[in-house]
Amino acid sequence: MGARKIEEYLEVEAQDIPSKVSEITSKGYQHLVTITGLDEGENIGLIYHFSKPSGETIHIKTSVKKHGSLPSIVDVIRGAYIYEMEVHDMFGIIFDNNQWMKYKLLLPDCYPLDEPPPLWKEADPDKIRKKLYEATSAACTLTEPISGTSMFSPESVVVPFGPYHPALKEPEHFRLVVEGERIVQAIPRIGFVHRGIEKAAERRSFLRDIFLLERICGICSMHHSWTFVEAVEKLLGLEIDKRAVYIRTLVAELERIHSHSLWLGLVGYWMGFETMFMWVWSIRENIMDLLELIAGNRVHKSIVTIGGVRRDVSDEKLGRIKEKVASFEKRFTEVMDDILTLDEFIARTSGIGKYNLDTARKLCVVGPPRRAVGDGYDIRKIEPYGAYEEVDYSVITDMGGDVYSLVKVRMLEILESTRIIQQIIEKMPSGNPVPKRAFMGTVPKGEAYARTEAPRGELFYYVSADNKHNPSRVKVRTPTLANITLAAEALKGQTLSDVPLVITMIDPCFSCMDRVLVIDRSSKSSRVLDERYFRRIRRKGGIR
Amino acid sequence: MAEKLGKIGRKSIWLFHFNASGCNGCDIEFAASVTSRYDLERFGIQLVPSPRHADVLVVTGAVNRLTRDSLKMIYDQIPEPKVVIALGSCACSGGIFNGCYNVAGGVDKVIPVDIYIPGCPPKPDAIVEALAKLAGILEKKKKNLKGEKNGSKKD
Repeated sequence: MGARKIEEYLEVEAQDIPSKVSEITSKGYQHLVTITGLDEGENIGLIYHFSKPSGETIHIKTSVKKHGSLPSIVDVIRGAYIYEMEVHDMFGIIFDNNQWMKYKLLLPDCYPLDEPPPLWKEADPDKIRKKLYEATSAACTLTEPISGTSMFSPESVVVPFGPYHPALKEPEHFRLVVEGERIVQAIPRIGFVHRGIEKAAERRSFLRDIFLLERICGICSMHHSWTFVEAVEKLLGLEIDKRAVYIRTLVAELERIHSHSLWLGLVGYWMGFETMFMWVWSIRENIMDLLELIAGNRVHKSIVTIGGVRRDVSDEKLGRIKEKVASFEKRFTEVMDDILTLDEFIARTSGIGKYNLDTARKLCVVGPPRRAVGDGYDIRKIEPYGAYEEVDYSVITDMGGDVYSLVKVRMLEILESTRIIQQIIEKMPSGNPVPKRAFMGTVPKGEAYARTEAPRGELFYYVSADNKHNPSRVKVRTPTLANITLAAEALKGQTLSDVPLVITMIDPCFSCMDRVLVIDRSSKSSRVLDERYFRRIRRKGGIR
Repeated sequence: MAEKLGKIGRKSIWLFHFNASGCNGCDIEFAASVTSRYDLERFGIQLVPSPRHADVLVVTGAVNRLTRDSLKMIYDQIPEPKVVIALGSCACSGGIFNGCYNVAGGVDKVIPVDIYIPGCPPKPDAIVEALAKLAGILEKKKKNLKGEKNGSKKD
């Protein structure tokens, strides 16, 4: 369900794309999932994937000559510019009136001009690598004057932030235009973690791709393999053993807990609250133990395979997991109650990085940042996959739209995940979840997409097969790419000292996305739930 | 193990962590090894925000074209004697990303590496063990450095 075969397209001429897109959005398909590029020989095919907030999807297809151009849709959907930049980098297509076309998003600036863009079929990775590493020009020109400098006052200064900065755990570069302490504009440059995985995936077999795609990200690794496998299973028309589905869901929820608590620790760290960092990370270790118990590895679980899972989880282990998750829940509730009611914490986080629902929708934001402004956009609910239809849980939302409400949303989601895990273990069906042998065959011609709710938000995969052992195209749209536009927007109006906190707000995973860009925001703050609220429910015995 | 770790206790070792296009897996395990359960700090090992204060450079990831230049620059900023640790399979050899167009394929293609910690990602235990081996290497490098200096004076 979270995955579907793509049977039909809305075929449109390239010139008519903007008008068609505005027609589609007025019909309710307001969420642009991503733009997929395809090499079709002479032409480049472009698929615009749209989704309704209720889950229905529609796919618009058009094609453009190689090195050709087509009109941009940024006027209709503001968040589209990042996807257009990505297609521009990977396929060399120009989107007219997208002001960011002259910048590179993912590739180094010294990408050889005489080689085709990397995702063309004729592009040879070895040749490109050789030329890239021989190039003497700078890989990243950071001093380049920013576009439209005249729009800023003469007092404005550009402060470079990153790529390597004590306040960033991963390499990322931001050019911050500041007037005094205030940030006027933030211009990101990503690509420091770009490895060329989509290209590599086309050259490996479906089975090997699972392990490759898993290593897109070390934090939501299981969601990557799961989403890919969901799409491939749809192409194959496979029915999956129920127990396998339950085990996948179990591991996915454990991963959500580990990812969210990791983020919580980091938030504490960036705001100078190191006790919180150590505290949360120490109870997170219990979840890491459980992942190791199930999969044999703490980080890259490699549990999912085509047709099932790679290991069964014995009932005895399930009992232990249940016990440990229950004790985790107890300890975590204590931590949560203490942190959310701490005056210093509230003062440091509420009103920081303010944004509203309208901005979030226009930028096609996904995951917790969207839920923190009151939009319950959760793939688990709107397009259920795995065992999510059979368990009872609620989608956490909040109205604040700042760092504080994001902390709250993610903390409550952790508790919700522990509830899901308890139910899954209780309802765990018997069966044979491990396929007799690993999938080594070919996949029939067709295209499928899959989406799941990764810890950071909606994760989207498009897989196309052509009766071969390897996919002809794998497209990954990670949640951080969709959300990084929000981080850049939320930075506007903030002070320099809040930069790490605001960037961390969206739970960025640069290895996932390796892509970013800009924003505007007034900085009036409002808080919906105050500490009195939490004290009150704490007295009532816990938060749910 | 405890003896080995006792040795490094004599001088605190300061680490600088560099993510050269890693997938975050090694990075979170490395971060886990400085938090309460594994607690590297009890051996005096500490993360520092500036390479100029560091004795050891810990590199994760397969090194892509954009991070290569920064890696070289940061390596040069670390004072002698310096030790480089390649953390994880990607940093050791390029790992699963070998053959990708934007990947150099291992830290040793760019800067000299002293300790390799394989694993995808290595467990915090492995990281602690590798750091235990560090004391000897740092000691040796220091001696060599002194020898070189004395040698040049005689000339």
